[in-house]
Amino acid sequence: MARLRDLNSLKIIGTISTFFVLICVLLSISSYARAADEDNCLMCHKYRFLGRIDENGNRINYNVDPRIFNDTVHRTIACRECHNYIKKIPHDPVTEQVNCGTLCHVITPFSKERFSHQHIIEIYNSSVHAPKPDDSPKQKEAKPGCKFCHLNPIYSLPKHNIPYDVSLRRCLNCHQQKGVTQAYKHITHRIRRKTSRSSQEIVALCAKCHADKELMERFKVSQEALTAVETYKRSIHGESVTLGSQETADCISCHASNKLHDIYKKDDRRATIFSKNINKTCQQCHEQTNRWFVEIAVHPRSEGAGNPIVYFISISLRFALYGTVFGLVGLMLLETYGRKRKGIKFLLRHGTSWRGKATPEKSKQKIQKNNN
Amino acid sequence: MVAPPDIATAAVEEAAAREDYFTYIEGVGHIPRDIYKHVKSDPAGDLPRYSTHIVIQHILVSTTFLVLAATGLSLFFADVFWAPYVIKLFGGADTARYVHRVAAAIMIFAAVYHILTLVAGTTKKVMNNEFDYRRTQIPRLKDLHDLIHDIKYFLGLEPFRPKMEKFCYKQKLHYLAIIWGTIVLVSAGLALLYPDVVSKTIPEAIFKISPGAATGGAFPTFFQDLARLMHADEAVMALIVIALWHLANVHIVPGRFPFQWTFLTGRITREHQIEEHFWEYIRNLEEIPEEKEYMRNLLREKGFEVSEPMDTTLSRQTPEPGSAEESTPEKEEN
Repeated sequence: MARLRDLNSLKIIGTISTFFVLICVLLSISSYARAADEDNCLMCHKYRFLGRIDENGNRINYNVDPRIFNDTVHRTIACRECHNYIKKIPHDPVTEQVNCGTLCHVITPFSKERFSHQHIIEIYNSSVHAPKPDDSPKQKEAKPGCKFCHLNPIYSLPKHNIPYDVSLRRCLNCHQQKGVTQAYKHITHRIRRKTSRSSQEIVALCAKCHADKELMERFKVSQEALTAVETYKRSIHGESVTLGSQETADCISCHASNKLHDIYKKDDRRATIFSKNINKTCQQCHEQTNRWFVEIAVHPRSEGAGNPIVYFISISLRFALYGTVFGLVGLMLLETYGRKRKGIKFLLRHGTSWRGKATPEKSKQKIQKNNN
Repeated sequence: MVAPPDIATAAVEEAAAREDYFTYIEGVGHIPRDIYKHVKSDPAGDLPRYSTHIVIQHILVSTTFLVLAATGLSLFFADVFWAPYVIKLFGGADTARYVHRVAAAIMIFAAVYHILTLVAGTTKKVMNNEFDYRRTQIPRLKDLHDLIHDIKYFLGLEPFRPKMEKFCYKQKLHYLAIIWGTIVLVSAGLALLYPDVVSKTIPEAIFKISPGAATGGAFPTFFQDLARLMHADEAVMALIVIALWHLANVHIVPGRFPFQWTFLTGRITREHQIEEHFWEYIRNLEEIPEEKEYMRNLLREKGFEVSEPMDTTLSRQTPEPGSAEESTPEKEEN
């Protein structure tokens, strides 16, 4: 009996310890997700309708969905590492914007330094998109900051997910697939392409401002720049991208190097589209470029705008088209009318299409008479 | 004189007066112009028209044309609602572009094959002393007269259709259009496929001729714009002409509906041959003894004058006024 009791107590201890281990495992899993929230911001921000209506009547939602946030690239970073202007909790109304150039606590494994976007922000600051001291307030307002383009992709839910299995295959030799996260995709895509966004998303993103003529007029840009989206979409590149091509050039294929943020005006020596650099830019895809090739309009104007010869050819081709089609179809219809009138039938049956009006018997008699 | 069926008396009298109603063939008899209304035809074709080579070329060209039109139109009119669906059918925009190029290569192969067939066939005929330019696609002034004559016939101003050769004005027009279209589409397509080469060679050639003309940067853009314009416009034109005219002419008009088998069998029906290619039928009579036999029997059955085969050498009487007059007394004798 004692033995049996021992066995029973063993069973109870076993069950309890199993549960304990399970709870520990569960806790460790959830603690991973909770790492970002060491200040317990979610205590308030988990509520879906946490928000207010500001002075201008805009409705602002302050909810953070942990299920979504834990899939993003920033999921291991504590809230206050970016929102570092918050000194006490509960905090006062926020007046500052997040600065993406802030050094965060994540230490990169190889350099052992704190990670920062500072380097890319320096490039951005020199590009056309950064606000400049001599910009008017209206212009400053119209220029895109980091967040304008980099809305976290998990929130914007990209339509065209590029298959990443191909780029992952080699990583999977050492790493297990179950650890694959958004961050993994974030890195692996950049190995093969300039960006993880599809060409369609890039064009849509750039067009958000560049197709807005009213907004672009604030910068007093040239006529070419005003209609750049329109003319790009007319080009072979633009048409292919519209149809979902992933191989064709989108905006940043030509307007930025692999640094991505180094977008300059075309008369800037650093610009990829500067006359001395353009050959190299085209060579990313077109292997054999030459001084004539780079003069082809990548943003073609509409047919014949400013080119009377092309316009003339276009008009005469139109005339030829309608002339030919109406002439030929008219002839065909006239022929059908004429032959139908002479008694032809549509179907070739019993060896002839000339049944009825022109029966062989009748005509035989008539022809015989005719011969007599 | 009494009118043959369905033709106004006055018109027949006029035609008979001009004596082009009957065509006399040695060993057959006097063939009336409208005998096609009385012949028996096999829908699959009775008389040879196209060689196997031409049939193969037509299959190559027609299938690649459909692929080219489907991929090309949806690539060019990318913003039209159906374009994405067609593109998906071909496996996305990038694949569709390759499909378009492969189909174009096959079509160019068919064109080269056709030229080789033409050169070899013509050489053979010249060597055998059989070459007759009237049986080819070479345009003649007669084609213009035939067109005018045919329009008059359709309007009821002429009693009979013109006597046409193997290729009538319609076919010659279409053939010329195909030659023009192929040259334009292939050259413009190559300019789009190799923009780097074309943008270099043409302006450099111009530069060599007159250095002043090519100083501006307009030339590469001009030729690229022109290539796009020509390629698209010519393709749309070809598609519309094929869809509305060619297909209607070969498969829809009376006598051809619902399907004409010539493009697969290479053979043409007897009634079609006599109606639209009369002189070619006359040549068929000379070349095919069975056909001669058939026509003689038919003429005898219909009560026309038949000539017995006296001679082994056969000759066709040309529609010269002198020879036409000769046939009249023979008819009167009967």
